[in-house]
Amino acid sequence: MSDRTVSARALSRPYGAERSLAFGIGLLGLAAGVLALVVGFGWLGTYRAGRPVVDPLAVDWLSAQPVLARSVAVAAGVLLFAGGLWFLLRCLRPEGRPDIRLDTSVGRELTVTAGAIASAVRADAESVEGVGRARVRAVGDPDSPALRIELWLREGADLLRIWQQLDADVLARARESLEREVLPTAIRLELGAAQRRRVR
Amino acid sequence: MRILVRLLSTLLALAVAAAGGLLALETAWQWWRPDGAPLLLPWPRWLDALAGLRWDAPVVRLTAALTALTGLVLMLVAAAARRRAVRLHDPATEVSVTMSPRSLARAVGQHVRAQDNVSGATVTANAKKVRVRARSALEDEEGLRPRLTESVSTLLGDVPLVRHPKVSVVVDSPKDRR
Repeated sequence: MSDRTVSARALSRPYGAERSLAFGIGLLGLAAGVLALVVGFGWLGTYRAGRPVVDPLAVDWLSAQPVLARSVAVAAGVLLFAGGLWFLLRCLRPEGRPDIRLDTSVGRELTVTAGAIASAVRADAESVEGVGRARVRAVGDPDSPALRIELWLREGADLLRIWQQLDADVLARARESLEREVLPTAIRLELGAAQRRRVR
Repeated sequence: MRILVRLLSTLLALAVAAAGGLLALETAWQWWRPDGAPLLLPWPRWLDALAGLRWDAPVVRLTAALTALTGLVLMLVAAAARRRAVRLHDPATEVSVTMSPRSLARAVGQHVRAQDNVSGATVTANAKKVRVRARSALEDEEGLRPRLTESVSTLLGDVPLVRHPKVSVVVDSPKDRR
């Protein structure tokens, strides 16, 4: 279950749909290729393999019902076009940075912009000892926003202490100032990369 | 891998949209004006060419094999583009933490290089396994390996990892070459 929480989903941009599309089209290609090979090597009958690729039998069958064949072709074409275009726009859309709405009651709306909360939390996180650099952004959909924090820790930083301090200071302050009980947060740690070593 | 899958799926979506649009357009045009066909693509010529090809022609077999191979590669790429980050225990509710495998390897590497009698080390890590290859001029594998395994395990025990990776240590020492 823990894999489906808002914070776990905020760990990185979801690629499930992209992977599924690539996998599905790969599967289609594999199936079509194997089927054509099976026909071509005569495993579905020696005479089958000797027939033309555009089989007169199939062409005759299709021209016997022109309205049905054309309607199906046009409908399939329109569906593929719409689906492909929708997916293309989805792929090209950058990952959203939702603002966090604190109060939605009429007349008292209060919204914290994604940039404001990101820079406030970043400044807090970078003040923790052992943290070299921090990057913060709001992610997720506007109904359930989350914070994604990337931390570059210095070499030899005490992980457990940073851990406690993050939750006790940085995130607690963010929750407090936003007046939220829980603030879904995804943290990505990078160890020992912030400092360059001097050549001796 | 993830960038590749993003790029590939974008191109595939574009190709699917283009193919669907052309299919609908050409069919509708041919339906509306049978004499005006084809509109954009010379598909009657393609049909004629395909009508002259048999299923057991070498070019058909080759195309089929290439299609199957491309599909297989695409499936493998899509399957390999999973999340590789190493999960850590949640420090509080609704807080999730991961660490890059490279970071874990770097931390282990620094620890191993700081041990006595170790002159160098390379480390690879993922969520399931940490592989250490240490070099030592002063101590042989027999003596160094248990010590390094022990100390790396202790180090990993201090990191709040969700699943503790297996540690495998190999020591490269001239003392073992006789």
